[in-house]
Amino acid sequence: MQSPAEREILEVGSRLLTSADSSVHSPVRAIDKRALERASQDAELRTALLRFVDVAPACRSPADLAAHLIGFLGELHERPLPLDAAMRMGSSKAARAALGRAAAAGVRHVAHRFIVAEQPGDAEKVLRSLWSEGVTTSVDLLGEATLSSQEADRYAQRCLDTLDSLAGIYAALAPMPQLEADSIGPIPRANLSVKVSALTPLLRPDAPELGERDAMPRLRALLRRAKERDVHLHVDMESFDSREAVTELVLSLLGEDEFRDGPSAGLVLQAYLTDSPELCERIVAWAERSARAQPLVVRLVKGAYWDHEVVDARQHGWRSPVFEVKAECDRNFEALTVRLLKTRSHLRAAIASHNLRSVAHAIVANRALGGQPRDVEFQVLRGLGDELQRALVREGLRVRTYCPIGDLVAGMAYLVRRLLENTSNQSFLADQVRGRPLEELLAAP
Amino acid sequence: MTLGPFVNEPVLELRRGEVRDALSRGMAALERKLPLRVPAMIGERRIDGETLLSTDPGDREQVVAVATRATGQDARRAVEVVSAAAGAWASVAAEERALILLRSAAWMRERRHELAALCVRECGKPWAEADADVAEAIDFLEYYARGALALDRGASVLQVPGERNHMRYAARGVCAVIAPWNFPLAIPTGMLAAALATGNAGVLKPAEQSPACGAMVVEALRAGGVPPDAVALLPGAGDAGAALVRDPRVHTIAFTGSASVGAEIIAAAARVRGDQSHIKRVIAEMGGKNCVIVDSDADLDEAIPAIVRSAFVYAGQKCSAAARVLVHEGIADALLERVAGAVATLQIGQADVFGTDVGPLIDEEAQRRVLRYTKLAADEGVIVAAREPEVDGRGWFCPASVVTGLPADSAILRDEIFGPLLAIERVRDVEDALDRVEALPFALTGGLFCRNPQTVQSVAARSPVGNLYVNRHITGAMVGRQPFGGNRLSGSGAKAGGPDYLLQFVEGRVVTENTLRHGLVV
Repeated sequence: MQSPAEREILEVGSRLLTSADSSVHSPVRAIDKRALERASQDAELRTALLRFVDVAPACRSPADLAAHLIGFLGELHERPLPLDAAMRMGSSKAARAALGRAAAAGVRHVAHRFIVAEQPGDAEKVLRSLWSEGVTTSVDLLGEATLSSQEADRYAQRCLDTLDSLAGIYAALAPMPQLEADSIGPIPRANLSVKVSALTPLLRPDAPELGERDAMPRLRALLRRAKERDVHLHVDMESFDSREAVTELVLSLLGEDEFRDGPSAGLVLQAYLTDSPELCERIVAWAERSARAQPLVVRLVKGAYWDHEVVDARQHGWRSPVFEVKAECDRNFEALTVRLLKTRSHLRAAIASHNLRSVAHAIVANRALGGQPRDVEFQVLRGLGDELQRALVREGLRVRTYCPIGDLVAGMAYLVRRLLENTSNQSFLADQVRGRPLEELLAAP
Repeated sequence: MTLGPFVNEPVLELRRGEVRDALSRGMAALERKLPLRVPAMIGERRIDGETLLSTDPGDREQVVAVATRATGQDARRAVEVVSAAAGAWASVAAEERALILLRSAAWMRERRHELAALCVRECGKPWAEADADVAEAIDFLEYYARGALALDRGASVLQVPGERNHMRYAARGVCAVIAPWNFPLAIPTGMLAAALATGNAGVLKPAEQSPACGAMVVEALRAGGVPPDAVALLPGAGDAGAALVRDPRVHTIAFTGSASVGAEIIAAAARVRGDQSHIKRVIAEMGGKNCVIVDSDADLDEAIPAIVRSAFVYAGQKCSAAARVLVHEGIADALLERVAGAVATLQIGQADVFGTDVGPLIDEEAQRRVLRYTKLAADEGVIVAAREPEVDGRGWFCPASVVTGLPADSAILRDEIFGPLLAIERVRDVEDALDRVEALPFALTGGLFCRNPQTVQSVAARSPVGNLYVNRHITGAMVGRQPFGGNRLSGSGAKAGGPDYLLQFVEGRVVTENTLRHGLVV
């Protein structure tokens, strides 16, 4: 016997799924989908392809690229036919160059699905077209790892420039009322996500205060510019190693008098962390205490470093900081959704998930808690959540798409994480592709 | 008796605040006891005498331990006592000896915070390194306890009808352990545990810079149940060690330290003295001049932090530390610029401050040596990064430097400097890099950053080093996972923490029994 809420979740979820499916009309997408399906079923192939994607931008010539591809494919015990043909192509110099060029094109094709542009200026077209579809964005600047102060300064400067250009791009756009306010008040149109690991080379797991101290002046400068330009500034969360430093840094800076009345800013809560309920309580208590003019935005995610956290803990013999059972993580995601939505007047919840069940649950929970559709934000990833994005817009919901910008070399770590997620056996997308029945996809975790 | 499978002792999860607090409390508990008193421990006797001060490398005014400076006479007395006890210890069942080592491991585990604190104070090891030292000491006890049990079952040999063949391993007798200060708990524990597990009696001569850590090792073993007569402690300087090496009653010498001292020990041990009736065996772990090869397809985001960590953590005072980077000329400029930027962010400071990468050097002599090489680097090459210490002058601090453009015959490319000085060279390709690696007399550790599986295979096939690390830092070998030890002048070849190590501490004995009697197989 299903509860009324469960029935409603099933109903909302089915509608989203139908609507998402009917938006697939690109034949290229269909081919990509089949390729991803193939990769997620064959662990060896998946590893070979991800290793190739990872090294592709560092290769010095098409021939070098071909040599790497052949090297990875050579380690497979069983090769799909087209790849076997590719291997045989490696026999002559001209053929190797051709193979290399084809492979480079393949990597670019995949990359462009997830990365909107190499430079912020080139992203304008995509951002404008999304806005016209009723979707706003959070822009993320991909970059190489920050290993020195100069690199941290360069990243901060890129962020400052991007805050300016985003403000300019979005100021020129026509009003889109459903994206620009919720029950609490106005919401900035433009939104930039930043990474603390890029703002300091000193994020040390055993000395969080070192990174905090070093990143603080750079993040403060960004907050000032964001306030000046009325752009929302969101601080991303990364691996568990830096969680303490990032949390302390954001909460202490936003607690400064200077930032009480702006800018709009936020941080991330990762539901895969087993101690995320405690962190959530801390954030909620902070938000309730800090009478900010624009409430803190909390982006609720599952978390993108699951594989890293699990392997890291195993190698060290530590208990894993993340849920290792997917259903436990999904249940926690729903509990945190409810906790955040209940704190509505003090903080804004942004639900960032491609799991249809989690999204439908948030829609229903928001309604049950007396929220308007515009009172909860849904976030999807460019290239991964495009279909869900359109379905959510059709439901009249507020959608923000996370849009990475950067060159291929810099974008590879992001790309590999996305591909890993997309081809994981546990992913909702993989389930969908495999055609699991709707009731199962939408069942309570 | 079977024990569960070996697992590495987890290092502390220092990313959690409460774990860091526990270490700080361990330090406070230790500091209340300073200076520690470290006598020579021979049987039940604790011998005081002339003293030797062990001071905090980060603060020369802080005395960590007042140790007895054991004499040659003390060394001979120690050998006499353990020699007399060796037979009894060898006849203790292997199971019982294994259990004793496990109890010693438990003793260390219970005190791990305070033991780590002692490493920090006495040897200037930053917290993470000090904690890893304790964990590795525990690993050696657990690993060799299991290995000795397996060895006790003997080796399988061919059997044919009419004869019964049996091969077993017996303890060699007395083992002198001469240990370094840079892994002041792990290395002496490893060498002693190997000797004791296989039924040898042992005498530990810790480095003169780390007598208190050495005393903890002997305390742990005795607390676990090793009879006091079977394991002795001789804190002191080189003369006590030299007396041990010469003593005709010593059967095995396990040494970790510099190549020059190692060569002297091997020469001295080769001489058969007095009524000595055996050949001494020397297990020597010596220096390195470790190279990291960076191919053109390397991911610099990963390679640079790993190189910086390998070269500079604990001020480069590990025999496994990176000393040279051989980088493909196609990415050399980018690598140089980014390494220089990363080195400028190194935290040079007191070892007890969380986040410190480069602590003080061990002593004044080390500081003089490193400063001399740093000056030579500036004369012969181009210094591309020099991170100066920003701490007061009471510790043996020195800058962390990166040099490039050195002439091919520079001493900096050849000598083991044992300090935070890294040389970077451009190479045409990986083959060129391997030629340079092969030209070195050392072959301890090596690194390779490369994403082409075929190149990885060919480097692994050609590299002479004892431990090659691909796409990661080149320090931090784990017991059971990376059996550790060098080739050429880097060592006598035994791999500590590996399956072959214990064989160095035993002698094989084969018994063949004729079971054929008048055509009857009995």
